[in-house]
Amino acid sequence: MGDRSVLHTRARRALRHESVRTWAALTPAVTLVLTLFGGAVVLALVRSFGLLGTDPSARPSLDAYRRLLVDPEVGRSLLLTLHVAVVSSTLAVVLGIGAALLLRGLGRGRRLTTTLFQLNLPVPHVIGAVAILSLLGQSGLLSRAATRIGMIDEPASFPALVFDPYAIGIIVQYVWKEVPFVGIVALAILHSTGDDLEEAARTLGATSWQRLRHVTLPLLLPGVLSAAVIVFAFTFGTFEVPLLLGSSFPAVLPVLAHQRYTDVDLASRPEAMAISAVITLLVLAVVVAGTTLARRTVRQDAA
Amino acid sequence: MIDLHLEGLTHRYGSVVALDRLTLDIGGGAVTALLGPSGCGKTTALKLIAGLLSPTSGRVRFGGRDVTDVPADRRGAVMVFQDHRLFPYLSAGDNVAFGLRMRGVPRRERRREAEAVLDRVGLHGLASRRPAELSGGQRQRVALARALILEPEVLLLDEPLANLDAHLRDGMRELILDVQRERELTTVVVTHDQEEAVVLAEDIALLFDGRLHQHGAPRTFFERPATERTARFFGSTNLVPGHRHGEVVDTPLGRLHVPDGAPGGPEVWVTVRPERLTVADPRAGQQVQGRVTSSSFLGTRSRAVVEVAGIRLTVDVADDALVDVGPGTALTLGLPAEALWTVPRERREGTPTSPDHEPATPGWGDDARTAADPDVEVRS
Amino acid sequence: MTAIDSRPTSSPAEVQGVGSGRRGSVRSVVVGTMLTLLLLPFVPLVLASLADGYFYPQVVPERWSTRAWAIVLDPDGRTWAALRDTVGIAVVVMIVSLVVAVPAGRVLGTRRFRGKRVIELLLLSPVLVPTIAVALGIHVVFLRLGLAGGVAGVVLVHLIPATPYVVLLSAGVFANAELELEAQARALGASWWQARRHVTLRLIAPGLAVAALFGFLISWGQYVLTLVIGGGRVVTLPILLFATASGGDAAVTAATALFHGLPAIVLLVATTRVLGGAGLATFGGAR
Repeated sequence: MGDRSVLHTRARRALRHESVRTWAALTPAVTLVLTLFGGAVVLALVRSFGLLGTDPSARPSLDAYRRLLVDPEVGRSLLLTLHVAVVSSTLAVVLGIGAALLLRGLGRGRRLTTTLFQLNLPVPHVIGAVAILSLLGQSGLLSRAATRIGMIDEPASFPALVFDPYAIGIIVQYVWKEVPFVGIVALAILHSTGDDLEEAARTLGATSWQRLRHVTLPLLLPGVLSAAVIVFAFTFGTFEVPLLLGSSFPAVLPVLAHQRYTDVDLASRPEAMAISAVITLLVLAVVVAGTTLARRTVRQDAA
Repeated sequence: MIDLHLEGLTHRYGSVVALDRLTLDIGGGAVTALLGPSGCGKTTALKLIAGLLSPTSGRVRFGGRDVTDVPADRRGAVMVFQDHRLFPYLSAGDNVAFGLRMRGVPRRERRREAEAVLDRVGLHGLASRRPAELSGGQRQRVALARALILEPEVLLLDEPLANLDAHLRDGMRELILDVQRERELTTVVVTHDQEEAVVLAEDIALLFDGRLHQHGAPRTFFERPATERTARFFGSTNLVPGHRHGEVVDTPLGRLHVPDGAPGGPEVWVTVRPERLTVADPRAGQQVQGRVTSSSFLGTRSRAVVEVAGIRLTVDVADDALVDVGPGTALTLGLPAEALWTVPRERREGTPTSPDHEPATPGWGDDARTAADPDVEVRS
Repeated sequence: MTAIDSRPTSSPAEVQGVGSGRRGSVRSVVVGTMLTLLLLPFVPLVLASLADGYFYPQVVPERWSTRAWAIVLDPDGRTWAALRDTVGIAVVVMIVSLVVAVPAGRVLGTRRFRGKRVIELLLLSPVLVPTIAVALGIHVVFLRLGLAGGVAGVVLVHLIPATPYVVLLSAGVFANAELELEAQARALGASWWQARRHVTLRLIAPGLAVAALFGFLISWGQYVLTLVIGGGRVVTLPILLFATASGGDAAVTAATALFHGLPAIVLLVATTRVLGGAGLATFGGAR
């Protein structure tokens, strides 16, 4: 009886020791992220309520949010930002899956092709934006080529693809950058599952279209959905690409937040913080919805 | 009931010939095994029949119909894979109903049929389980049910028992044989295990290195092997080197009479299965005397290794009579003439054979080849 | 030889048999078009950077010049100074994030414990929450702490996106490493330290190198955080590129962009062998 309790205590101590070590290992990273990132998010929130500004005696208020609600520019910004994020993530997902299916079917040269395919993944976004500008701008390469073959005769007759109200330039840049991302995620899934299940479906009488619909896409769905959430979060919240390729009115929300923050009128700063809080909440909502959906699709019967 | 004809089927992967001019007639309504070591081309052959691969040359016929260019999804042959390949995102029931769904059968009907087939394979009430929630044996049954529901003309089974634990194999084997007989399904089984081939199939095609080596009823492989390689593949047979003159072979054991039609000559191996040797049975015409070097109990049989004139012979008896026979004991072995057979012996002594291809014959084989001196004085 | 039977190397296209030749060539055309579109944006950059007056409507410059590259590569010039700052900041970020992240990565990659999911979500959120929100939120505090406008502050904010990435990547490295070999080494008489040094480190070194590279590249490409916290006083390559792009000299802009982008591409290609496809995808998330 005495032995057992000793053993018991020892086991518990070992367990506690293990858990102490686990948390000790996590502490530096967690502290860093909690202090810097968590601190920043909380501060933005606090400041959106009008606190910690130039007036130390200010009381918390929702004034900044009220002003946002009645500001027509904010509404237009929100719509534009949603438009950019939805269109570019949808295109990136569809084209990315298509690209992965194409690359998988390649025989010879697949390695080289895949390397070229992902070449722009590590390229910083600012560079991508500069490159798209020099391609799609009114004196860009496409415009020059159009002039050369006689389709137009001056830069101004080239359609406005950058700084335009539909944010075409921004969307093109996002799609250009994110198709390889989604494609590589999908390719990795296809690679790890192999074509065993498609082969099984084939022998059970599934045509090539049915195999895509009932086997390949269900296998890709959870992983690609997670990738789509990341793409959406990114295209919703990025600052430098629209700053370089977008019109300044209406600007996407992150740019608008920065405009308000650097406004000479310091009273606009709580609005900048409120916009930050809103985009953060919207992105997190989409992330939660997306991951829940991804988990549900894994469980749900496809029948 | 439909018979299959493979005509000169060849398949290359790049420069490697996986299957070389396989011509084989497979009887309708029966089970045929494609047997051979890994890499012999048997799964390639199965996939060619299923339509999952296209042959480099050759034809596949189902009955009178040439299906070589018919894609897998319209061929009427369903393949069941060794690793079951269930769709992980579908329940067992939906996995079984998959093929019907592809055919556009309404949901209610396919659900009913799926449940009926699941009942048939002994998985009553498990339709809503996920593959991950099933045991290995249950998954294999779902995979079989998934094929059976389509009522295929041809059922193709790739190593159906290989992934199962010993205690599950018997049940699965009985199930396969039962449903095969009920529906008189033309069935082709691929296996690397000769025991599995023997218990499942009425007809065995043995493949080595992409080529058909021998084709016939299971018994012939044990008692009438065509080559040394076949004899060795079917395991633990005794091989005694000898010179053949007509129906007699001079061996270190003496002059042995072999049946008519035994192949090879003049250099041959005389083969005899351990279970066909008799111990001290006066009825057996040809007898040799030797000393026991070891003995063991095999569960249902007992075995002794007996050295005769420098050659080790393995003998099995159906009871435990040999268990207590100690080393050094003198033993008289009977060699019934009808149990003997010959296979051609290559000129080169000890033709190297890779361990991949032949299961080891424990305590035996190399001894006979090296110890044997075919010119030794014959005792009668 | 033994592999033939169990694992045919045929691609799905090969299996389809008849007609695969035509289908194959259609596929090649589509793939070729796709790659061209992906690489096309780099073309005007290369042309512009080497042009001597790249005037509309020239498609290919009429005269060539290395003027822009001379400016960019001038050791006393702005670009070179920006390169020094960028590399300096990125190296510090890489080292700090690695030191902080590896223990956490090992725990997350190899152990199950209560609260793991929460920790993973916490570490993932800096990757998802818009950087501008983080930058604006932290700016005032850094102003008061005297960290705004200096390299130290920039390093600190770069750690926000870098650390989570390095943690998640090294978790993957540890999850895939056969750490049981560590115990095997101990059983063979290695000391704790020897086991780490000769077994664990060798198992995880390639993966950790890649994780470190990510930490480096995230800092290397960072714009918003540097802009807001650096306040124009810390000029890294992205900041310089942006300024140049708004400044007007197209040739210098193009050369600066390529000068900034090429190292990232080279590093990626160099590590392709170490990384699997899934690992590479993380680059897409790395901004």
